[in-house]
Amino acid sequence: MLIRRLRYWMKSAGRSEALREEMELHLAEKAAELQTDGMTPECARAEARRRFGNVGLKHEESREIWIKRFWSELGQDVRYGCRTMIANKAFSTLAVLLLALGIGANTAIYSLMESILLRSLPVADPESLVVLNWHSRPPQNANKQWVHVVHGLQGIFWPGDKSTLVSGIFPYRAFETLREDNPAFSTLFGYFNGQTKTLAIRGQATSVGAEYVTGDYFRGLGVSPAAGRLISSEDDRPGATPVAVISFATSQNRFGGPPNAIGQPILIDNVPFTVIGVAPPEFFGVDPEAAPDLYLPLHTNVLVDGAGTARLYSDENFYWIEMMGRLRPGVSMAQAQAALAPRFHQWVATTASTDGERANLPALTLNPGAAGLGSLRRRYSKPLYVLLAMVVLILAIVCANIANLLLARAAARRREMAVRLSLGAGRFRLVRQLLTESVMLASLGGALGALFAIWGVRSLTFLLSHGQENFTLHSELNWNVLGVTAALSVVCGLLFGVAPAIQSTRPDVMPALKNGRGGGPRRRAQHVLVVAQIAISFLLLVAAGLFVRTLDKLHSVQLGYARENILLFSLNARQAGHRAPEITTFYANLRKRFESIPGVRSATLSQSSIINAARVGQAIRGTMKIGAVILDGARVMSAGPRFLTTMQIPILTGREIDDRDQPGSPPVAVISERLARTYFGNENPVGRRITLPDEKRDLEIVGVSGNVRYGGLKNEEENAMTVFVAVNQFPPDRVTYALRTAGDPLRYVNSVHEIVREADSRIPVTDVITQAAEIDRTISREVTFAKLCTGFAVLALLIACVGLYGTMSYNVARQIGEIGIRMALGAQRGAVVWMVLRRVLLLAGMGLAISVPAALIGSRLVKSFLFETQPNDPGTLALASVVLLSAAILAGYAPARRASRIDPLAALRHE
Amino acid sequence: MGRKAQKNDSLPGSLDMLILRTLSLRDLHGYGIVQSIQQSSDNELLVEEGSLYPALQRLELNGWIEGVWGVTSNNRRARIYKITAAGRKQLAVETRKYAKLTLAIARVMGAE
Repeated sequence: MLIRRLRYWMKSAGRSEALREEMELHLAEKAAELQTDGMTPECARAEARRRFGNVGLKHEESREIWIKRFWSELGQDVRYGCRTMIANKAFSTLAVLLLALGIGANTAIYSLMESILLRSLPVADPESLVVLNWHSRPPQNANKQWVHVVHGLQGIFWPGDKSTLVSGIFPYRAFETLREDNPAFSTLFGYFNGQTKTLAIRGQATSVGAEYVTGDYFRGLGVSPAAGRLISSEDDRPGATPVAVISFATSQNRFGGPPNAIGQPILIDNVPFTVIGVAPPEFFGVDPEAAPDLYLPLHTNVLVDGAGTARLYSDENFYWIEMMGRLRPGVSMAQAQAALAPRFHQWVATTASTDGERANLPALTLNPGAAGLGSLRRRYSKPLYVLLAMVVLILAIVCANIANLLLARAAARRREMAVRLSLGAGRFRLVRQLLTESVMLASLGGALGALFAIWGVRSLTFLLSHGQENFTLHSELNWNVLGVTAALSVVCGLLFGVAPAIQSTRPDVMPALKNGRGGGPRRRAQHVLVVAQIAISFLLLVAAGLFVRTLDKLHSVQLGYARENILLFSLNARQAGHRAPEITTFYANLRKRFESIPGVRSATLSQSSIINAARVGQAIRGTMKIGAVILDGARVMSAGPRFLTTMQIPILTGREIDDRDQPGSPPVAVISERLARTYFGNENPVGRRITLPDEKRDLEIVGVSGNVRYGGLKNEEENAMTVFVAVNQFPPDRVTYALRTAGDPLRYVNSVHEIVREADSRIPVTDVITQAAEIDRTISREVTFAKLCTGFAVLALLIACVGLYGTMSYNVARQIGEIGIRMALGAQRGAVVWMVLRRVLLLAGMGLAISVPAALIGSRLVKSFLFETQPNDPGTLALASVVLLSAAILAGYAPARRASRIDPLAALRHE
Repeated sequence: MGRKAQKNDSLPGSLDMLILRTLSLRDLHGYGIVQSIQQSSDNELLVEEGSLYPALQRLELNGWIEGVWGVTSNNRRARIYKITAAGRKQLAVETRKYAKLTLAIARVMGAE
């Protein structure tokens, strides 16, 4: 019966075809019969058709019989489901809420994944875009010497397969070489991150992100302007009139709309440009991570970044420009790579000057460019997969829990089902109706979950971006995401509905009709589900434990400098037109004025904050030597007066850098303790010299400081050595000020703005942040993981405990008679409590037995997220087990107590 | 086939019963069923051929008959229908209903 009906539904397409064949045969036979009666073949065929009636219509009618039936039954089921749901309000509400949490969390994480990992660039035909990369072995040989055709670079490397190095930056000549009659690309365009620039419009200066683009950039991407025109090849030549394209948002914020911006004069780092166009609102360049406010023709970097940059165009060993190409129609990426890789190889071989360089030449590779550059993907794909795994586990717990609730309810509905079965209802029909009910529950949960996800996406984006400036994750719910949510809901509904549905429609009608009580298999199913929930919660508990422990370890890291009560902000006076030597006095005077703010204990400046030191270039050129020995692995930090005092880095001997160190006076250095110990042993280094062959200067060591840890908390640079030099003697373009304040540092932000405005209103104050926040930003991922995972674990444990409680309560209710007899025969209350708790512990123990090995294996997957914590950390495992068992006992205690309060007389009478 | 035969529309639903009855004697394909009904009613009943197929689908959906691919007496591939156990039960039900109905009609007609 069941099988036959299933077969019908599966064969619905084939059936329609069979019907047509049957009808054809019928007509043929009829015609043949008429022919034997003496008709001509044509007449016979026509007559047969006439007698049959409208073939198409009859075919439709026959098909409709099936379809109509399906829909009418579905309608019945939905109506019946609504009634059942309303009749069981408490159950339905609980189930829908649980599902909303589970599905909502999944939707939120998925929509983040969709926006980061899957979504295409909002440009024409993104599928035909390819990104050009190269890879080679690491540039340093075994002796740590740099042997590579890349002599200088501006951009990033990232690790590839088999310990290779991958990068997307090329010399300009490589771009020109590949662009010349390219057989694979219809366009090849380049771009170069211009970092932050000072954009002044009618005297109002702000700091904005800029992207230098070649003339074919917009044409290659196939973008049309929101107003005006976009940069073309004419604009990207040396000596062309400086023009700029601005982003849609900038046009709105600064000009009040795209049309108003066209033709307006603007100053970019004090260089006059004219706005010629506005990019469309959805366009954010080629890197989903950064949304530039300004697009400038590549060659204008000579105007903006100084005449020195002109050499970038001719230097074949300086790597800086990134490239994307659009494949010609019909050319595959593999074909393009086969055509271009030899050409690049040929070119790059001519740039190698030694055999060592020739032995490790970069090799060109093409990568899909549809989703833009991969920096965001590289950074977030693994964390997102981990988060996805967690929320999928939560959803699994939710499904198990609801399946359990449904099983319990199936017991209550067993009589109803038995009656319907005995009245002749098909079992498949009943299962279908029960499944319709569970899918309805899941759909409601999914709808509510989508609402929950809107909130979830916002808070997740906030957590992930944690203080990062211009974090541009464009994630929102879209049809793709909602489609996945809907599919997920249906799958969940089927998943948690199918076991209870099959259980409760078991055809052994008679015993159910007689006493209405369930038998053994259902209890077994319930127990399996409870064990599964416990096992999954344990996994999440272990994950939470590991991440919290990691965070704990990170918080206890010794940085070597003060964390609290320090305000950081950056200024770039060079971009407003200040030049050496005036710029040095300008910065020095500002420092004195900041120090005079009431409540500021000390103020200093440096080339960057300590956290960002790794991202800013060294303050000096070339190597450092002490005598004949090369100083290796030391970081040079250009710092102003009172830097050590402000940062509370201890001064061990000598003095720190102060106002005596002026541009004209002998250059000085303060070295860190580790450096002193490494290169001077037990000697006193004060008075010794560090020589700078490339700078043709010597540094006199005037003091020794405590050790400082760079680059935040989890960086491995704990062995870093430091050379502090005077900011006046090695002046950077951009400086970061640090103010040590009394009380909340952010209270002083307004005074800072005022002072800078008075000094030069063209200079924007950027990167305003407290030291504590900047340090925390380096561990934002760990904080996010610890918070989310703890939240997930608590949620999972709570749901599992509700499941356990429900199951135990149900068991106790079923055993009232048995317990009553035991108590009547003299069982103590304690023994009854133990009887119930023993089962709770047994279930929890089984969950643990399954889950501990799984946790040991699974935690290795998150090893890269841990800090000084082993994946199989025994303390964490023990703690998680204790928490789990306590929660289980807590959940089981209420039913156990209820069991022990059973009045034997009442129980026996009830039986 | 000189005179006009009666089309089977006097008793709605009786087509199902006629098909079941025919198939209870032997397995047949669609055209065979039409012929069989026509012959056994001495050409009094003329099945509206187009309506046969929706009826067959309905009967199959209810599980009263079952169609399998086979070969006709003319050696052509066709779906051969056979009656199922449920179909025989249904036939019995319908036969009783029909007997009651005709009896009632006969009484009415006789009383006139």
